[in-house]
Amino acid sequence: MRQPLLAFLAKEPAHGYELKLALEQTFGEAYPSPNIGQIYVTLKRLEQDGLVRSQDVEQTTRPNKKVYELTEAGRDALRTWVDEPSDGPRVRDEFFIKLILAPMAGLADRMELINAQRRHYLGIMRNLAGLSATDTPARLLIEGAILHLQADLDWLERCQEELV
Amino acid sequence: MRATFRWARADLRGRRGQALLTIGVVAGVVAALILATMLLEGAVNPWKGLFARTHGADMMAYLSYERTSGAPVSTAPLAHLPDVVRMAAPHPFSPATIDTSTGEPRIQLTAMPAKLSSLSMSVPLVVAGTWLTAAKPAGIVIEASFASSIGVGVGQPVTVQSADGKPVRLTVVGLADSTDQGFYPQATPGQVWVQQSVLKRVEPSKSEWEEVVDFRLANASAIASSQVFQAIYDAYPTSTGASVVQRFTTAQQVEDSMASDDRLLGLLLGLFGIIALVAAPCAIANVTAGRLLMHRQDLAMLKALGFTPGQVVRMLLAEQTGLGVVGALLGVALARVITSPQFIHPPDGTTIGLAPFPGSWVALIAAGTVLTVALATAIPAWWAGRVSPVAAVQASPPRGHLSQIARLGLLVHLPAALVLGARDSLSRRLPSLLTVFGLAIPLMMITVALSCWTTIDGFSGDPARIGLPAALVVPVPASGMTSHQLKALLGRVGTPYPDANLPPTPLPGDNGTFTALAVGTSRGQGRYPFQVVQGNPYDAPDQAVAGQGFLSLMHLSVGDLTLISVDGVNVTVKITGRILDADYNGDVLAFGMDTLGTYGGPQPPGAYDVVLRPGLSPAAARADLLRWTNNQLVVSMVANPADSLGIVRVVIAISVVVLAVIGLASLLTATAIGLRDHRHETGVLAALGLTPRQVIATLVVNTTILTAIGVSLGVFLGLAVAPRLINMQGQNSGMGAGIATVPSSLMLAAIFVVSLLVTTLAAVLMARRTMRMTDSAAHLRSPARRPTRTSIS
Amino acid sequence: MSRSASNSLPTTDLLKTRGLVKEYHSDGVSVEAVRGVDIGVGIGEFVAIMGPSGSGKSTLLHVLGGLERASRGEIWLRGQRVDKLSLAEWAVLRRKHVGFVFQFFNLLSNMTVADNVELPALLAGVTPRQARRRREELLSDLGLSEKAAASPARLSGGEQQRVALARALANEPSLLLADEPTGNLDSSNTRDVLRLLQRTHDRGQAILLVTHDARVASMADRVINLFDGMVADDHPVTRIPRPVSSVLELHGL
Repeated sequence: MRQPLLAFLAKEPAHGYELKLALEQTFGEAYPSPNIGQIYVTLKRLEQDGLVRSQDVEQTTRPNKKVYELTEAGRDALRTWVDEPSDGPRVRDEFFIKLILAPMAGLADRMELINAQRRHYLGIMRNLAGLSATDTPARLLIEGAILHLQADLDWLERCQEELV
Repeated sequence: MRATFRWARADLRGRRGQALLTIGVVAGVVAALILATMLLEGAVNPWKGLFARTHGADMMAYLSYERTSGAPVSTAPLAHLPDVVRMAAPHPFSPATIDTSTGEPRIQLTAMPAKLSSLSMSVPLVVAGTWLTAAKPAGIVIEASFASSIGVGVGQPVTVQSADGKPVRLTVVGLADSTDQGFYPQATPGQVWVQQSVLKRVEPSKSEWEEVVDFRLANASAIASSQVFQAIYDAYPTSTGASVVQRFTTAQQVEDSMASDDRLLGLLLGLFGIIALVAAPCAIANVTAGRLLMHRQDLAMLKALGFTPGQVVRMLLAEQTGLGVVGALLGVALARVITSPQFIHPPDGTTIGLAPFPGSWVALIAAGTVLTVALATAIPAWWAGRVSPVAAVQASPPRGHLSQIARLGLLVHLPAALVLGARDSLSRRLPSLLTVFGLAIPLMMITVALSCWTTIDGFSGDPARIGLPAALVVPVPASGMTSHQLKALLGRVGTPYPDANLPPTPLPGDNGTFTALAVGTSRGQGRYPFQVVQGNPYDAPDQAVAGQGFLSLMHLSVGDLTLISVDGVNVTVKITGRILDADYNGDVLAFGMDTLGTYGGPQPPGAYDVVLRPGLSPAAARADLLRWTNNQLVVSMVANPADSLGIVRVVIAISVVVLAVIGLASLLTATAIGLRDHRHETGVLAALGLTPRQVIATLVVNTTILTAIGVSLGVFLGLAVAPRLINMQGQNSGMGAGIATVPSSLMLAAIFVVSLLVTTLAAVLMARRTMRMTDSAAHLRSPARRPTRTSIS
Repeated sequence: MSRSASNSLPTTDLLKTRGLVKEYHSDGVSVEAVRGVDIGVGIGEFVAIMGPSGSGKSTLLHVLGGLERASRGEIWLRGQRVDKLSLAEWAVLRRKHVGFVFQFFNLLSNMTVADNVELPALLAGVTPRQARRRREELLSDLGLSEKAAASPARLSGGEQQRVALARALANEPSLLLADEPTGNLDSSNTRDVLRLLQRTHDRGQAILLVTHDARVASMADRVINLFDGMVADDHPVTRIPRPVSSVLELHGL
């Protein structure tokens, strides 16, 4: 979660709760809401690493809050993160292991396994398709998930053709 | 029904060019058929056309003047007879004679008004000079066939004389056609027209005059039942028994006497009918099939939407037939405009034989052509009805592959366009076949038509080819010159052959006559140069040659012996050969003069047939002979039947034009189909690295190869068929087989080159247009079974 | 193991097949593209057919729509046995009760958009005025009113498919057959077409659709998986509530 927080702070200085709200607004329901404690822990570590610095701001009715801002080193770290290519998601291999091993153990038929897995994927797909109505960056994330699912289904088809 | 109509409307709008082409082809065929029929009918029976143009009378009554008083008989009682629709004012006339170089033929000298427009019936049609004018009281107009027979022209002086009157000198001011009687000399007397003052000078005694009254009748049955004749007789009660009514003539009688039996022309008419009837459906079927090929997917989609197969068939039939009807109406209108009198001006004074054409015939031709269109559409439409609706969604399977030859071609670095174009022509079978036959059939017909043309050319250029080696015939005069002197004289213009000049000889069994030609010697130098097309010329007194007509009549063939009685002499001859004969319909048996001598003593020649020196024209030779003998000789020129076939050339020209249009229609359809098939491919070819010019070249090569095959096939078939057809006609007309001349290789090469040039031009133009359209990435939308998931929006 | 769903379906089946076989003959060899298929589509049901290429999906759809005749087996449509109908009888049946949508849109190239949509209605015997009103409704529904007079060639792929859909729906058929309707479209056009399919489904028209697209299939009430000309699986689609992260983890978070 380090880099997203750095990225938000690069835009403007903010305190922990503001960062939580920004995360929620940007990724929406596509991603489980981050825990505020986790955010504070991360910020503290970033400060130790010298990537951000904090300043106490006095509040009259409440306890003082810490406003964080990006340091030069933080900006450099952020740039390095953006510039380096990201790895793709790893192929889900659990099902494949089942597909290969289960028939050997006499536990299940491959066609049944494939059918069951397809139903499962289609069920998830139906759920994702229902979510994709909004028009936020989250929608793109859902689209990405849908395309991955499509690839999984196409791969199932290949397994069916090759193994059944 | 509404859906059908909606589709047809959209389809016609979308394919305007092709629809117009179909209409054009049908209109051309209908107009050509009507025109050809009118021209040929006019040529076969020129009188009929003239009859309409001169507003000929249905019936004419000849009445004598009062013998005692010399006053004209009143025609008033005739005006209201039953069956008489209209009666013209009577024209007085008198019999007379006219002086010519060869004799004094009888004439009917008729007084006519100076204004032709005042006539409503039997209006002479001036073909040279002018009509009578008050300004030239001594003018005379002579009927054209009579004038050419007695050899007078406009501006020449003539002398006319009645039975006991003084000779009157007149000047010919004009020549005119008339249908009051047949053409001279079959019909006599010769007809001449003068003003009434001249008639008075020629025949002062009015009691010798007669008058002629023209009638338009309600129906022909009035003549058949003779009711009108009786009514006219009854109109003039007579006490003396001598009626003023002299005689009647009817148009029907004249027509019957003029009916031509020129079978050659009749057969040509049939030939051109067949040309149109074969070529038109081929063109229509080709265009229709081409359109359907291009619409296969749309037709399949219509069926997926719920059109039944029957509906599809009916829809296409209705659409095409509709176009056919429009085309036929247009064709009739076109023929009407072309044949309207305003359009045909005979510049040389010859009669343009346009027979009047009954509406029922026009309707029959139009209906027949429309029916042909419907029939020609039926097969492609039936096929379209059977197109599977699945075709709508199946991408067409890839057609064509690189053959070994094509690979080899590419290997040896032949231009890619040539190899790819050739591949297309050879691998897309159905469209290629459509194109080849669509072109071969009109080209075959064009070759046949041109063969007719060159055959006629051969006739006119070389009459000897059709058995007319002698250009002049000179009878031995009764006095003033011996046959020996005549022969010497004739030797100055060519080679004279003595001719026994025998009268027509009855056939055994009294079924008609034939002509026995005893001419020249039976062997050696003096033998007459007949055109022998089968067997050999005769070479002995007991041998003869015969025309096809004679052989057919007598059921003989070359090599047979025949016994016939010629001029009272029984002759047995062996027929050694068959000759071409244009004079006597082939009903001729020819042998040497000495053949008759062998059997019954020497015969004096009745005439000489003169084969002219090369380069000497018959007219010049005739003029020389007349000059040398001070017009003492009768010199007649042998008529060439090809001269009367001139009209056939017009018909041939028309058919060639129509056939060319039909061929062009096939060509454009072929190109359009080819391009449609290539719409998807052009993009791919371009992507493979072919320049736009190479892509166009590929398309052009494809069309050009097909054209070359089609044209070659057509010309080849035409050359095979034409001599047979023409010889068949020759045989049927008695002239005999062996008259056909095929077009020169130069002409055939020209046809070939022109066809290829037109094709290439059409293909280049259409290909360029397609290329421009393809730029809009049409090929990117081409159906592919598994599309890539790249977005195109 | 292929689970035949026909027994468990309600008796109000709109479409039902029993032992359906489609054979092709070429060069003396007969190939079975569809090998004994038993399926059913209920009234207003949305069924998707999936399966690898060459599994006989499109052939099955063509046979069910009467574009091709079945070789053996029974087809029941609206309680009527239709497998023995002639092609002409099928054509008449399609006019009123079956709409077709294809992957390549297949609009009639020489007719305007308006004419394309009106044609099936006219074919079914509707008056021109009604056909026109229906067409105006459909096109405005699909946001294509201003394209009515255009030629299909001038439309984008997505627009063409929407017109094709309007044409298929012109007679409010009780069954819409669609063969890869989104197969040739990009994702935003696919979304538009899916919205329209959903609306059609909501109106109570049954849809039988062949697709490769899992998102399209996931919208269906039921998915039939075809494999090698036979039904490999036939199951309802039930939503499985899983977060995006179950498919796609964001490393950075």
